[in-house]
Amino acid sequence: MSDTTPVAPAEAQALLDRAEHLSRSAHNATRWPYITFILALGVATSMGTLAMGLTTGNAFGLAYVGTLTVTFALIMFFMITIRGRSAFARGRRWTIYIASWFVTYAAAIAVVIWAHGSVLASGITSALILVVTMVCAAREARS
Amino acid sequence: MTAIEQHPRHRLDDLLQNPVRFSIVAALDRASTLSFKEVRDAVEITDSALSKQVSLLEGAGYLAVGKSFAGKMPRTSLTLTKQGRTAWKAHLATLREIAGLS
Repeated sequence: MSDTTPVAPAEAQALLDRAEHLSRSAHNATRWPYITFILALGVATSMGTLAMGLTTGNAFGLAYVGTLTVTFALIMFFMITIRGRSAFARGRRWTIYIASWFVTYAAAIAVVIWAHGSVLASGITSALILVVTMVCAAREARS
Repeated sequence: MTAIEQHPRHRLDDLLQNPVRFSIVAALDRASTLSFKEVRDAVEITDSALSKQVSLLEGAGYLAVGKSFAGKMPRTSLTLTKQGRTAWKAHLATLREIAGLS
């Protein structure tokens, strides 16, 4: 038996409104922990790599441990927040966001290792982390 | 060809005219991937009813169903496929045409 019925203009409009409402509410219910996480991750790793790139001795150690601690705390907070609701994280969009962050972070770490003390290189790579994660967060927030 | 056959409603996707299947795909439109529970809560439906409709959508290639485990707890994820998104966009475009919005 067919479950299709003719659709009148008013019904079509009602269906479009329902689709918009459902789509938005389902997305809103999941996306905010993710947006918060990628923004916080971007800020923490950007500031951390900048500090690591421009300091030496005890200050470098503090920046290194501080960045690791904050990043680890963020990941823990995120994992607890999304526990049982992690399917969204396996979506293609989030894979791209995390991969983008990782590429810029790897570049910033490479500067810390091989061009330590270079204000220009550290500034560019750390700023890139911030820009990329902010773009990802903004894109998700506006979608 | 008759005038009735030319009406845009004939271009509506048969599978998506069911209200539950329509709601499932609508819930996945922006998010793309959600857990079974999240879709169930968004659509406000029982597990068994959702499971039945998900199977039909999966069979048509509109949804991909992922299975994983968090400890010993099974987790099911639902992802709107490229084919599903194309069908959804065409369905919405037809609805807009019927509503006089295009």
